[in-house]
Amino acid sequence: MSLGGGVSTAQARLERRPARLSLARRESLKGLGYSAPTAVIVGVFFLLPLVLVVWMSMNRWRILGSPTFNFPDNYTKIPDNQLFLDSVTFTLKYTAITTVLLSGIALALALSVQNQRPGVGLFRTAYFLPGAVGFAAASLLFYGFYSQTGPLDSILMDLGIADEPINWLGTPNAALFSTIGMVIWRFAGFNMLILLTGLQAIPTEVYEAARSDGASRWQTFRYITLPLLRSTIALMLVISITGSLLAFDQFFILTRGGPDGTTVSMVMVIFREGFTRFDLGSAAALSVLLLVVLVVLNVIQLRVLGRER
Amino acid sequence: MKLGYYTTGAALSILFLFPLLWGGYESFRGQPGSGQESGFGFGNYTRMADYGEGIATYLINTAAVSAMTVVGTLLVSALGGYAFARFRFPGKEALFLATLAILMVPYATILIPLYVVLGHLGLQNSLVGLSLVMIMFQLPFAIFMMRNSFEAVPRELEEAALVDGCTTFSALRRILLRAVRPGLITVGLFAFLASWNDFFAPLILLSDGDKFTLPVAVVAMRERSFGAIDYGALEAGVMVMALPCVILFLVLQRHYVRGFTAGALRG
Amino acid sequence: MRTARLIGTLAACAALAVAAGCGGDDEPEGGGGAASGGADTGETITMWTRAATQTQSERLVKAYNASHKNQVELTVIPTDNYQARVAAAAGGKNLPDVFASDVIYAPNYTSQGLYLDITDRIDALEFADSLAPAHMRLGTYEDAKYTVPHTLDLSVLFYNKDLYKKAGLDPETPPTTLNEFAEHARTIREKVGGKTYGTFFGGNCPGCFVFTFWPSVWAAGGDIMNEDGTESTIDDPNMAATFQLYNDLVKDDVVFPGYKTEAGPTWTGFFGKGNIGVMPMPSTTLGLMPKDMDIGVAPIPGPDGGESTFVGGDVVGISSTTEKADAAWDFVSWTLSEEAQVEILAKNKDVVGRTDLADNKYSAEDERVVTINELVEKGETPYSLNFGATYNDPTGPWLKVARDAVFGDDVQGALSSGKESITASLAQQ
Repeated sequence: MSLGGGVSTAQARLERRPARLSLARRESLKGLGYSAPTAVIVGVFFLLPLVLVVWMSMNRWRILGSPTFNFPDNYTKIPDNQLFLDSVTFTLKYTAITTVLLSGIALALALSVQNQRPGVGLFRTAYFLPGAVGFAAASLLFYGFYSQTGPLDSILMDLGIADEPINWLGTPNAALFSTIGMVIWRFAGFNMLILLTGLQAIPTEVYEAARSDGASRWQTFRYITLPLLRSTIALMLVISITGSLLAFDQFFILTRGGPDGTTVSMVMVIFREGFTRFDLGSAAALSVLLLVVLVVLNVIQLRVLGRER
Repeated sequence: MKLGYYTTGAALSILFLFPLLWGGYESFRGQPGSGQESGFGFGNYTRMADYGEGIATYLINTAAVSAMTVVGTLLVSALGGYAFARFRFPGKEALFLATLAILMVPYATILIPLYVVLGHLGLQNSLVGLSLVMIMFQLPFAIFMMRNSFEAVPRELEEAALVDGCTTFSALRRILLRAVRPGLITVGLFAFLASWNDFFAPLILLSDGDKFTLPVAVVAMRERSFGAIDYGALEAGVMVMALPCVILFLVLQRHYVRGFTAGALRG
Repeated sequence: MRTARLIGTLAACAALAVAAGCGGDDEPEGGGGAASGGADTGETITMWTRAATQTQSERLVKAYNASHKNQVELTVIPTDNYQARVAAAAGGKNLPDVFASDVIYAPNYTSQGLYLDITDRIDALEFADSLAPAHMRLGTYEDAKYTVPHTLDLSVLFYNKDLYKKAGLDPETPPTTLNEFAEHARTIREKVGGKTYGTFFGGNCPGCFVFTFWPSVWAAGGDIMNEDGTESTIDDPNMAATFQLYNDLVKDDVVFPGYKTEAGPTWTGFFGKGNIGVMPMPSTTLGLMPKDMDIGVAPIPGPDGGESTFVGGDVVGISSTTEKADAAWDFVSWTLSEEAQVEILAKNKDVVGRTDLADNKYSAEDERVVTINELVEKGETPYSLNFGATYNDPTGPWLKVARDAVFGDDVQGALSSGKESITASLAQQ
């Protein structure tokens, strides 16, 4: 029976060498085994349909009847689609603003509720509650909320802050920020929860050691908390940025792309191609393009954020 | 200082809760054309209870799908996250990226091809097929989260177990799962929320009205008047659907308290 | 409910077995309807309908199921995602036996072969010529007929008789020209004022503009598109006059607030609160108005007279992939029978799809319903394969044109440049 720690390293290496190759193979097989369910689900329910999407993008594909191969037409007409091009700049702008605001707020919230205190459970629940509402329902709720006969305007007028009903969705900037407001309301709690999960994995000893070393709150945050939170932040950013780039419901329902086409997101254009113009091939091509861009973006993001060891 | 903390917290809480409180208030208020013609009352809710096949059918369908999705997601992501965190195997990077790529295709685009694939598998118009699809949609977040959780667990823990004679699998079961419990809770909670509230997948993948889930029924109910939205139905729907989620979160609250993990490690 | 259905299915199977064993006539027995080629043989027929028309569809299905051996299983699909659902089903070769569709999308479905050609079946109906002409036109493709009217939703002027009285207007004399409509709206705003306004419209809702403004053009004999919907004639002088009129109303603060951002979800919710004098709305909202409000309806007029309406709603047809065409037709044709149209639709104050039944025993009880029914003959439904992408989609060209015309300073200019952008969209392949 090997004793592990007590034997000298060289001797241990000698004793283990013949077994090492098959150890690596064994590990590899175990890894494959544990990841098999994932591979099956991803393969059958994602990659397979994805192949179909790519195939659709190379055809003129109407709802019924036989598709006709027309590669690369669906792709070459993308640069002519002004609506899509405009939606790219808008979506990028929206993503940048939302990511910064949402992450910042979620982090602040998470830090404020991570420790046990009387009443903190209530705060946590309050922040998270919006996440329990379906996104489309939330968008409609806010549509009514923001309307000029809704409660927001009545309250502001009653409080004397506003003289007349504010037009929350009436100008491009107002529409953009009102939508971002709703999105933050809906997702701050989600992201807060993700961060809380990561914060919990940081052992209290680390904080105690820092405190006994005389570190300030800010220093602890900057040099201890943040680095240890890296992989959690990576997860949150991947989800959040990808989600923002693929934003649809909030604009489709709340602003309808208005006022005057100033809040049209990329997926709104895809939806229009597929289900209003009934051109599924064109919609598929746009989706494939988007997928490629997102994969590249996320690979870069993951490399930059690195992995915590 | 403490007062400042509580005041800010309370103010923020009100800010976050206000739209829902307003929605709840409105769900009881009467509006012509909705279930509650005027005044205050339960009109919108009773209309919801009787709608279509009856709320019980939709609740059962939704509960079944959610249960299958949560269990399935936890199983697959616990095993998968462990694989990604602890083992080297061929195709690892590719599989992780493929899993993440699920996030990067617009929902509307992938659902029609999914519908076709499910048809070939004999799973179309079935709650099981729907659950499998929802598990798939959860995997990017779930696998990433579980991978992170497993990576954060010090190797000494399982090495100690292995030395004591455990196989990898029983080490996983007995020790590691407890260590990554916060991750599992979050994955399970998110899987529940997504499958409970999801609207588009059940709409496209199910064909029979009596298999529909609650979100689909609620949307059909609120769009009943030729383009205008029945706001009473919308608000009642929001309240009813949010209730189980709230209860679940309240129950799981204690798992988000700091120090929970630390205790488990020390013990 | 499940037990009942089980028994029903067993009974249906038994009936089928008996019918099959009886050596079959060529002429099917057909339950009490005028259907030719229809067969009430105890089949189960699947049907889809949009959420927007579920109430009517449900009533029809229920009544049919109670009196026939065939049983229809109805599934209600949310309105906004109906096209997506149909597209998925078509792609998976999994369409139901019967499905309704927004009349506006009928051209798309017929031109792509989703519906079965039922020209002969329709022509064999004795009342074939009285089927709502606007709906029949949209359901016809290359001279073959594919759909029949299912539910109808017309745009009509609603006016608040109480406010009319308050403003000194005769509540029994609604506007007969669009100019009169503007006058009445102004009068109410002047004489009553305060929180009361003359009119309202959905200023960010492309479909609402189409539904409420276009009838004025048709009433005056003009048109906004060519026959096959590939070229725009939006610069029709009557369209310009209509937009100018509303433009002036906006500038003179006669319109209830919120019009500029109203995108559709709440546009019919304000009239019932009693602060709006007169506005065009869907006829189906009549039943949703408060019972204690004294409301009148009138046809939408052109600038100087005439009457017309936008005939919206749903058509219904048999899917091209069904294996139960005869049974499906038995149901579909039954919905057009006098029994169904009068006892199910008219009795519940819904518009009938047959012009020969416009004046029936139920509509006579409420002259407003007669007014609406009589408009079916005079109204129109515009035909275009690219209707949705051009006119209904908020990111299409129409919304911008309409908003420029009604909120800007140059109506004629907006419509002239609109003609180009809309034609480009209509002609897109």
